[in-house]
Amino acid sequence: MIRILLTGLAVMVGTLGITSETLADYPERNIEGIIQWGAGGATDNVARSLTPHVEKALDTDIVLNNRPGGTGVIGMNAVMHKPANGYTLLYGAENPQLYPVLDLASYDYSDMTPINIIGQGLVVIAAPADKDWDNLGDLLDYAHQHPGELRMGSTGKGGLPDTVLAMINSVDSLDVRNVTFGGDGPGITALLGGHIDFMPLSLAGAQEQIEAGRLKPLAVVAKEPVDALPDAPPITQALPEMESYLPWGPFWAVSVHKDTPDQIVKTLSEAYRKGVANREFQQFLKNNGAEPLNLQGEEARDFLKNWQSVTAWALENAGSAKVSPEELGIPKP
Amino acid sequence: MPETVSYFLMAWTDPSLLLLTAAGTLAGIYVGALPGLSVTMATSILISFTFAWDINQALALIVGIYCGGVYGGSRTAILLNIPGAPSAVATSFDGYPLAQRGEVGQAIGLSTVMSVIGGLIGVLVLASVAPFLAEMSLQFAPRDYFLIAGLGLLLVGSLSAQSLARGIFAAALGGVIGLIGLDPVTAEPRFTLGFTNLMGGIHYVVVMIGMFGVAEALFQLHQLNAETVRQKVDRIVPSLNLVLKFLPLSIRTSIIGVIVGALPGTGGDIASLFAYDHAKRSVKNPAQPFGKGAYEGLVAPETANNAAVGGAYVPMLTLGMPGDAVTAIIIGALVIHGLNPGPMLMIQTPHIFWFTVGNLVLANLFLLIFGLTGIRIFARIVELPRAILIPTIMVLCVVGTYSLNSSMTEVYWMLGFGLVGYFMKIYGFQMGPVILGVILGPLMDKSYRQAMSSVGNDGTAFLLDLVTNPLSLILTSAVILLLLSNTPLRRVLSRRSR
Repeated sequence: MIRILLTGLAVMVGTLGITSETLADYPERNIEGIIQWGAGGATDNVARSLTPHVEKALDTDIVLNNRPGGTGVIGMNAVMHKPANGYTLLYGAENPQLYPVLDLASYDYSDMTPINIIGQGLVVIAAPADKDWDNLGDLLDYAHQHPGELRMGSTGKGGLPDTVLAMINSVDSLDVRNVTFGGDGPGITALLGGHIDFMPLSLAGAQEQIEAGRLKPLAVVAKEPVDALPDAPPITQALPEMESYLPWGPFWAVSVHKDTPDQIVKTLSEAYRKGVANREFQQFLKNNGAEPLNLQGEEARDFLKNWQSVTAWALENAGSAKVSPEELGIPKP
Repeated sequence: MPETVSYFLMAWTDPSLLLLTAAGTLAGIYVGALPGLSVTMATSILISFTFAWDINQALALIVGIYCGGVYGGSRTAILLNIPGAPSAVATSFDGYPLAQRGEVGQAIGLSTVMSVIGGLIGVLVLASVAPFLAEMSLQFAPRDYFLIAGLGLLLVGSLSAQSLARGIFAAALGGVIGLIGLDPVTAEPRFTLGFTNLMGGIHYVVVMIGMFGVAEALFQLHQLNAETVRQKVDRIVPSLNLVLKFLPLSIRTSIIGVIVGALPGTGGDIASLFAYDHAKRSVKNPAQPFGKGAYEGLVAPETANNAAVGGAYVPMLTLGMPGDAVTAIIIGALVIHGLNPGPMLMIQTPHIFWFTVGNLVLANLFLLIFGLTGIRIFARIVELPRAILIPTIMVLCVVGTYSLNSSMTEVYWMLGFGLVGYFMKIYGFQMGPVILGVILGPLMDKSYRQAMSSVGNDGTAFLLDLVTNPLSLILTSAVILLLLSNTPLRRVLSRRSR
């Protein structure tokens, strides 16, 4: 009897201990950060340069692990199945917002709590330097005369190039051969070898090749010319109707399990706000042609909703969506 | 020129850089030797640590880990028949038979010297013709990677020992395992049976640890009470004569290694298999037959995979494009440190190139020192009673697999592959072809579809491309020659000409 009582007491104390741990003293041990893309990629670089600044603010270690695969579904799935105690974070990119439309998974960022929308990358449509076209307009003219002949580098369904192509196709017609690579890196290599004709790329990956004169920018996906590539024409020059989609770009975000207690979300949000605002990290984003956002709470949720509605409907209009955004209850932009 | 020399010697003269290179190499040997712990993982973890360091220090440590890690994979391959990394799979074919004959000392000694020779040839190529080799590697179109994968799959003839039919079955099994996961083009789940955990596919290291590690451990249970082989450890450093004898072969296989390593789509794992095949074809009368402990079968993959390190740096340093997963992470490190890896890297920061070259040479020298010391202790491992050795292997396999992605699912898969591998072993199947299939299947799938979509899914245009482009023509001819030389047709022809 006494033993049972003691066990009961121990369990109660233990439970109390856990509750007080999650509420008051968070964080009191290491936090795991799961990166949904592979080592050396853009999401990985952002996560690894940002984390040391956040560790200082939180006064604990954040152990980063890459869990790539399935357009990021694997990593997100892993975080959603961990306890909602703020000890597992997801470092993700924009892809989850398209999972439902592309039928990759039934969930998206609305099934998690956003901690910080770190920043947004710029997209440039690049071609090998020896091509005749100087801008997207030239490329579109060529493509209209030779439909289905140009080879576009892609990174698969739900990837950045496919999404940009869908957006273009929702306002114009660009009929291309879609050649799929494992990421921006292998795609740029194929561009340099002349095995494909053009590819929408994140500016971070393409910038060096453009500066060295080996690739040329046909357009940046923005309303105005950007500082990082002042000579590249904005996409609205060739396709004015694109304006309604802009500003648009891939983004990086940190999020946690949906049921995480508010106090922990607050602690994390504060730490990440400081980390992203760090001058060194801001410089890192700038060097990589990315725009810092540093959004939390409601602002972050609005950003995510807006991004999803713009992109999902562009995919739907171009006929690339597997499940209609209408069916999923995604509002029109 | 004097600047070049001073850049080259930077890591040699700065004590902290010297120490970091040494520490990296030593750590790399052990990281590489443990199956599941990979150089890729070690470097990506290190990036976080080296964030506040000077970039040269970070690079020195990574160079050491990279060289040590690629070499370290051979340790467990020779000692336990469990390759520490995919690029050491071919090393186990003849390395483990050598251990069973009591020649662990000689095998490790020879593989160390040969790894260093391969590594140095790789650096030499990097230092002399990097820009040329990089431009050449860009010429490889998707269809050429398709042909390389085809050429690689034909190696099944070399890897399947007695029964070619069993070899082909094993390679096909590997190919199918490699296709599991989201389709890279349409993102359609393939063979995932609705499991989210299968959407990312099955990591080939999981298959490798199961099929080599667990299957081998289970297989050894049959001889639980058999006497362990006494190891001869008196002569560890191979004689100069022996090294000179293998020098022509090691130069040829190093060149295979450096070229395959420089291609952005292929790396040391494929290079070492090609090298093994080359040795098997070109060496007519080895002292021991291949697969039974031929020194040549050890020399070829070990030189090739270390030469591939120099190769992988070629596109990275000249173009800013990764040659493999490790150089991809190094590019990430450069970005985080505020450098701009790209074609201008050699112009904007010229010291990086010669610093890396000098650092690689230094790491190879440390490899020689660390590799040749402590072999006697390693030889003891093989002499351990099986009742101790087998459980230890099992634990290592589980820990190694878990550390890959911290995923229990992968541990279950690994154990499952261990069971399948065990029964395959009993029925005379080889494990090499399975790994060949897992590595090459996805490469072939990807490159075939890239090549087909590049020509608008026109089969005729695709076939025409294979014979009209000079580079593709060479590869196509190699595929056809290899096929013919393996079929009865050749015997018929040569009989007729006689």
